[in-house]
Amino acid sequence: MSARERLQHPAAWWLWGLGLATAASRTTNPMVLLLIIGVCILVVSERRDPSAPNPLMAFVVIGAMVVMFRLVLTVILGNGIRGETVLFTLPRIPLPEWASFLRIGGRVSLESLLYALYDALRLAAILACIGAANALASPRRLLRYLPATLYDVGTAIVVGLTFAPQLLSDARAVRSARALRGHDGRGIRELARLAVPVLEAAFARSLGLAASMESRGYGRAVRTTPRGRRTASVLAVIGTLGVLAGLYGLLDSSVGGVLGLPLLVIGVVVAGASLAIGASRDGRSGHRRDPWTWTETLTVICGAVPGGVLVVASAQGWTGVVPLPRAEPPPLPVLTVVAVLVAALPAWFTPRPRRALA
Amino acid sequence: MIVFDHVTVRYADADEPSLRDVTLEIPEGELVLVVGPTGSGKSTLLRTINGLVPHFSGGTLTGRVIVDDHSTADHRPRDLATVVGLVEQNPVSTFVTDVVEDEIAYGMETMGLDPTTIRRRVEETLDLFGLTPLRTRPLGALSGGQQQRVAIASVFAAGPQILVLDEPTSALDPVAAEEVLASLHRIVHDLGVTVVLAEHRLERVVHHADRVILIDGGRTSALLDPAEAMADSPIHPPLVALSRLARWTPTPLSIRDARRRAGALRERLAAAKPTAGRDDGTSQRPSVLFEGAQVLRAGRPVIDDLSLSLFPGTVTALMGRNGAGKSTLLGTVAGQLTPEAGSVRVADGPTWAQPASLPARRRVALVGLVPQQPELLLYSDSVAAECAAADQDFDVASGTAAAILDGISGGLDPTRHPRDLSEGQRLELALSVILAGSPTVLLLDEPTRGLDYGAKGRLAATLRDLASRGTTVLLATHDVELAAEVADRVVILADGEVVADGPVRQVLASSPAFAPQVTKVLRPQTWLTVDEVAAALGRSA
Amino acid sequence: MTVIPVRWPAAAAIGLVAAIGALAFLWPFVASAEFVTNHGNDAPWLFAGILALLTLVCLAEVTSGRLDAKTIAVLGVTAAAGGAMRVLSAGTAGLEPMFFIIIVAGRVLGPGVGFVGGALALLTGALLTGGVGPWLPFQMICAGAIGLGAGLLPGRPGARSERWMLAGYALTSGIIFGVFMNLWFWPFLGANAPTGMGFVPGATVAENLGHYAVFYLATSLAWDVPRGVLNAILVTVAGPALLRVFRRAARRAAFGSQVAFDPSAGERASPAGEHHDVAVAAPDRGTLAR
Repeated sequence: MSARERLQHPAAWWLWGLGLATAASRTTNPMVLLLIIGVCILVVSERRDPSAPNPLMAFVVIGAMVVMFRLVLTVILGNGIRGETVLFTLPRIPLPEWASFLRIGGRVSLESLLYALYDALRLAAILACIGAANALASPRRLLRYLPATLYDVGTAIVVGLTFAPQLLSDARAVRSARALRGHDGRGIRELARLAVPVLEAAFARSLGLAASMESRGYGRAVRTTPRGRRTASVLAVIGTLGVLAGLYGLLDSSVGGVLGLPLLVIGVVVAGASLAIGASRDGRSGHRRDPWTWTETLTVICGAVPGGVLVVASAQGWTGVVPLPRAEPPPLPVLTVVAVLVAALPAWFTPRPRRALA
Repeated sequence: MIVFDHVTVRYADADEPSLRDVTLEIPEGELVLVVGPTGSGKSTLLRTINGLVPHFSGGTLTGRVIVDDHSTADHRPRDLATVVGLVEQNPVSTFVTDVVEDEIAYGMETMGLDPTTIRRRVEETLDLFGLTPLRTRPLGALSGGQQQRVAIASVFAAGPQILVLDEPTSALDPVAAEEVLASLHRIVHDLGVTVVLAEHRLERVVHHADRVILIDGGRTSALLDPAEAMADSPIHPPLVALSRLARWTPTPLSIRDARRRAGALRERLAAAKPTAGRDDGTSQRPSVLFEGAQVLRAGRPVIDDLSLSLFPGTVTALMGRNGAGKSTLLGTVAGQLTPEAGSVRVADGPTWAQPASLPARRRVALVGLVPQQPELLLYSDSVAAECAAADQDFDVASGTAAAILDGISGGLDPTRHPRDLSEGQRLELALSVILAGSPTVLLLDEPTRGLDYGAKGRLAATLRDLASRGTTVLLATHDVELAAEVADRVVILADGEVVADGPVRQVLASSPAFAPQVTKVLRPQTWLTVDEVAAALGRSA
Repeated sequence: MTVIPVRWPAAAAIGLVAAIGALAFLWPFVASAEFVTNHGNDAPWLFAGILALLTLVCLAEVTSGRLDAKTIAVLGVTAAAGGAMRVLSAGTAGLEPMFFIIIVAGRVLGPGVGFVGGALALLTGALLTGGVGPWLPFQMICAGAIGLGAGLLPGRPGARSERWMLAGYALTSGIIFGVFMNLWFWPFLGANAPTGMGFVPGATVAENLGHYAVFYLATSLAWDVPRGVLNAILVTVAGPALLRVFRRAARRAAFGSQVAFDPSAGERASPAGEHHDVAVAAPDRGTLAR
């Protein structure tokens, strides 16, 4: 069923991850959240991009640290939640008058801990979804799909990514060269001695690269006209103004708050339009575009399903979506669990990534 | 095809023009070699062809350069990319992608060609340059010769009718250089592409050339026939020097042509023997001793069970293909690497020392290494400051390094930035820095990259001088001519093991791949350099 | 020198996005109670998404004049150097020594390059180390602002005081960066965060500020001061040398150098076919001329 080994279009995985992250943001049910994290780990282990290191673990670790942090703070500083099941009591430290809003020590109840846990777990789940998207579709591949207005910026990023490993290996070489002059390369002063040859070499190389790019016809495929640029600039400024006004309206619910959301949306659309209009790429280039086939569409749908279901669930207040922190296992909303499991399907029907050849 | 019409180029902040009144007409389908010393304006000449000078570099161009009926005054280099392709000296710095295939396609993608054309062209280019088995390899995993071919292929894929190359083989060993030149030869003869290239190592290139342009001080000669050009050119390979000595006309450019003429010369030389003067010093106590040494790099043994002795007052040339372990061997003597098994020791007075376990200051007094990229050693922003820093580093009287530099190079402007110097001058500066510490063992890693014959001559003189004063010199190189000129002993490495080790005459003369031109011509006699032959003729005349 | 000119639309866009960025960090202080209870959990994500889009818009506006290959190369090196510092310091949790590179680049090459280079350095570092997370747009904007600010600093290039001025700038910007990045994370503690740490909807600004101060002290003062100090030290020690390197690179790249053609050829009285001879040196015997 899955075609020859290839990597999916990166946008498909990112949209999938965003759908799942939206789902995670709507609920604090620990079972559902842990299930989401599990789905992420499963899909990544099956379909991750083998050419890049796997960042999912780093994101999961950050999530775990957030949970720890919240729990510890709750133990020490307490919570707004008043609970019946007291776990233990810390000695209360008296504080001076000006810090009277602070409370250090005191009773630690299970309910307050559970509340903190559920809340932090939600953040951890969202981070896991983003980490999974990173692992499945390396963000480097998204550079190819930048709009034409960002063509030069995209190239600068590619140049930066290509040069960085060379800088690091040059730094190692300079370090051993320092030893040839009798220094062992330690100390802050050595940093300057190290940085200078490395950067000089990098700049010399970059000039050669620029000459080579110029000679190879860089910049021929993207056209800008003064009129197009002016239009884009105007749209950008108007769009940004709109976003600012919309945000202000949203935040300050009293003053014309109704206008907030629509204005925000319009501002975003206009600003996005400025990106699309400013320059046009010659449509014929790009012989290595990833194709968008049915697997990509289905992947996006599998990510959108849990997102949609949970948005509806939280809006309509289904039981178990935002469980109260009580000293008992929270109810399990079956439909949401099924929706989350749908998101795991791409682990099977999507094409296997092409293994990196030696 | 390429027309220069009274072209003068002056850079923005320069006092003197870099090119003066150049008038040339290069027809289609020729392989043109540009020959000249460092600083003569070769690079400027090449870059005016595709317009990098003056569009990219700034400056004023007087006159006109017309390429396939397009004037560079009206077209930027990017507009001429389908007409002229320029390949720079260091291919790795120009790669923008990760994989061979992608790199070849990149130029066409940035130009906006349609996908079908791109695919077709990629296939054709891979075939033409023999890169098809490498197509999905990452660029970093290729050898130097392969990388250079990929760089040429990626420029060529866009379909230019003119290729301009600036020193394409200077960093390559002889076999890799031959691969690159064979590819160029093929596209000239099979496709009628016009190729203009500048090279220092004439011995590899001159027999491929259809025409030669001599350039000096910004002025060029006309398009000359190679044999005629070599007959008078101050820059010439050893073969041509031999032919001038023996008065052969027309000047032979390949070994085969020379051998056909060499009968009479061989007879004259049959009775003579090269004077001694190369002493491999085995009678003395060694100054560097390898015993069964094994050195690992990234977990794999690069040098395995190696035993070698080096003696004071001798110059040893270490040769072998790229990747054979030469740099690793030098690094081990310099104390940068520790042997996993066996031992590496350096004589320290009456005793032995292991270089890796010495403190840095003590070690550099014993062993000095000039690395492959000498600019990594330099960090000051003027020659004078660099020499002063070297004096401080090695705790010697101020002015030592500067005096050494004067002796080696004949005087450099002390205010110049080290990176503005030519390759040869940078090497001399780095060498002076290392020699300020008066090491007893001097190591050089591929010093001949980018050097012209004059700089190589000065280097050879310096090394022989050091050897005569008792320093042990070990030189890793694949420049056979330099080894023939300067070495007493040759060690050949392959796959981390010593394959040949003996007096220079024995090793170089007996190996087909590593024989200098003079040896190849006068085989079965074992002459190494033109100087030896001249001395013998002078004696027997 | 100014390699990338910052025209009015770009300046306006950057200014507006800075205001939005400030809002993204400060909204807990100015939001109404309703907003906080209804949307408090989503606000940081909303801001992250909006800022991601607007960062791209800013970058597009600053570079709208099309960058030439030399500028791209210089930006690439700045981004690579910043990214490499990120890779090297990934273990030292958040000390961010890359800022000193961004400051030097901005100082030498102008606010335009400082902004783009700063943003790209953060992005390159993220792509090289961990991946793209929701904190990235904020970081890119902050780093871009630091680079932009460095480009706007007064003073003659090469003056003695330059090094100290830049060191002071590094110190303050390092600390302010930390303050803002924490402000962004603070609302994640939620509406019912531990009393005294989280913000209380409807409370006065002063009270909330007090809560935030406690949060800040508890979490990252320990990181921010060292970060500022580290960058300041790096600037003091390595700054002058790096400034020279960047300035020399800018000179070699000949940004904005004049390109002139003078087609008045053929005025010299050299009839077709005559060529200048290459000066022939004294005859020598060997190829390696001694």
